[in-house]
Amino acid sequence: MKKALITGITGQDGSYLAELLLSKGYEVHGIKRRSSSFNTSRIDNILPDWHEREARLLLHFADLSDATSLLRLLYRIQPDEVYHLGAQSHVKVSFELPEYTGDVTALGTIRLLEAIREIGFKTRFYQASSSEMFGTTPEHPQCETTPFRPSSPYACAKAYAHWMTINFRESYGLFACNGILFNHESPRRGETFVSRKITRGVARIRAGLQDKLYMGNLDAKRDWGYTPEYVDAMWRMLQLDSPDDFVVATGETHSVREFLESAFDHVGLDWQKFVEIDPRYFRPTEVRFLQGDARKAERVLGWRPQVKFHHLVKLMVDADIKLLEDQLSGHLVRHAGAHD
Amino acid sequence: MPTALITGVNGQDGSYLAEFLLSKGYCVVGTTPDESLDQQRLLHIRGKIEVVETDLLRQDLVENLLRKYQPDEVYNLAARASSRDLWTHPVSTGDLNALAVTRLLDAIGKVVPRVHFVQASSSEMFGNPSECPQSETTPFHPRNPYGVAKAYGHWTTIIYRQHRNLFACSSILYNHESPRRGFEFVTRKISRAAAMISLGEEKELRLGRLDARRDWGFAGDYVQAMWLMLQQPHPDDYVIATGEAHSVRDFCEEAFSYVDLNYRDFVVEDQENLRSEETGLLVGNPSKAYRSLGWKPKVGFHDLVRMMVDADVQLVHQQRAQQGQSPAFQSQTAVRQNPS
Repeated sequence: MKKALITGITGQDGSYLAELLLSKGYEVHGIKRRSSSFNTSRIDNILPDWHEREARLLLHFADLSDATSLLRLLYRIQPDEVYHLGAQSHVKVSFELPEYTGDVTALGTIRLLEAIREIGFKTRFYQASSSEMFGTTPEHPQCETTPFRPSSPYACAKAYAHWMTINFRESYGLFACNGILFNHESPRRGETFVSRKITRGVARIRAGLQDKLYMGNLDAKRDWGYTPEYVDAMWRMLQLDSPDDFVVATGETHSVREFLESAFDHVGLDWQKFVEIDPRYFRPTEVRFLQGDARKAERVLGWRPQVKFHHLVKLMVDADIKLLEDQLSGHLVRHAGAHD
Repeated sequence: MPTALITGVNGQDGSYLAEFLLSKGYCVVGTTPDESLDQQRLLHIRGKIEVVETDLLRQDLVENLLRKYQPDEVYNLAARASSRDLWTHPVSTGDLNALAVTRLLDAIGKVVPRVHFVQASSSEMFGNPSECPQSETTPFHPRNPYGVAKAYGHWTTIIYRQHRNLFACSSILYNHESPRRGFEFVTRKISRAAAMISLGEEKELRLGRLDARRDWGFAGDYVQAMWLMLQQPHPDDYVIATGEAHSVRDFCEEAFSYVDLNYRDFVVEDQENLRSEETGLLVGNPSKAYRSLGWKPKVGFHDLVRMMVDADVQLVHQQRAQQGQSPAFQSQTAVRQNPS
């Protein structure tokens, strides 16, 4: 049985990836941070089964800012594959917490790579790179060779981790892949990210619980995909004969305004009646236009996204409506966000 | 009298910059991680500048320093140097060379937002460049942890300029040498060996790849370019280089012929040191600095080599005088007045 370690297993991508790997028969280990509030809601639905599944999903306390904890864990688990998804992943927050973002997202990656070096490089490594690294690049669409122009502390830290991953591959022969993932959404997306903020707002407005949705820059354009498909691309990368870097994207680009339109449309409402612009939500340096060219992933990984923009918006709105109904009717006491 | 703060003042560049700023009438404050460290390079100006011990890994200490001295200009030169042990300490290299830039700029934004700041970036950021010579717009492809960390510092500088409106410049410095260069760098190895061999103290010099080519300038010229950047009406980024490439073999030939020797009789290309080249051909295009700063290197390749050999010959004589006939001076550094 193959063993995988996932950092950031409690996040959106980690939870879907854990499910995927369990379905493929892996023993899955996840790192969670000690927190005084619950932080495992996205994987609670797969956690309770772990007795029956012979403990195939195991969570461990460790922290990307603590090299010793990572090393101890790697020694103990000896994973075949490491999926490094853990990060301070919010772009706007990275302007408020630049040092913390750098420590966890940039240095955390080298701590993990160093731990892998320590146990002898037998493990395969996946680094969650991000389209944010392209930042203000004038080139589009963006592919694996497009130069980076990071424009946030988050993007800087991700570029750092991306290059260190390549350095370890080239200098030590580590089997390491960077997946340059464009925006990927799902009902489990964090509530502070723009897509989820919209779909959650639509559900609440529809239920009469809220009458305004405050937004930042509506013209920002993103390439939005569906997370379960993106974690499948991650897994495919680590099954290759030789490691490489891949852009993972839909190739379509849509503005935040289009997302609003589509989401409100789906419940028969006119978005312009509910949306107000609050300049506080503007990012200090806004990435304007992201559109990925994932032809290499299609060619080499045989990967192709099925869920496109409007389908994605619809399934997220539906999930938030369902979640809200469950909460209001008392079906859900704790806000899980995991039942889509 | 303006005040300048120099991080890493006891390094090669810091010592030249401190001298230069003193000559311009500045009050100079320099930081060092440890006051008991080798301060050889500062001996001749020790009474004229203030050297303070600080830890650049702690933002609170950096903020205190800025609050206390209220500098007009900040020169961030502190870094783990680009020599061999980079791969053995990638985490601490990242902490000092990358994250310290974030801490310093964040502290400046809070405490002294009007400061003019310059970051010492490096041609190592280009790594394996897609074009030659490289300019301010050439994409980065860093090939080692030093280059990756410097790229992070460079982007961070730009982000703080755009996001916080700081007067923050990045100087993309190509190799710059001097009689104060550390003994672990190839240029200093050669100048010292030429001096030692010519005086009968040594018999051979073992080096790595002789055909490796670099763009080598004089450190004293490069720190003046950094100062010029901070005197401009607007902050910007500049490549600082000579635009000429010379091989290690050229350097040997020049150094040994200057002391009337043929390098072929003494220099051995050491098979063990033949690590594969990490970088492509790094040659800078300094035309923007020529045009906008009116900067031009004053010391050319031949004069640089001769200056370094002269200094090392003088050093051998000094040490003979001090220590009888046994030249045990592994850890000492030559100190010369700036010849320009």
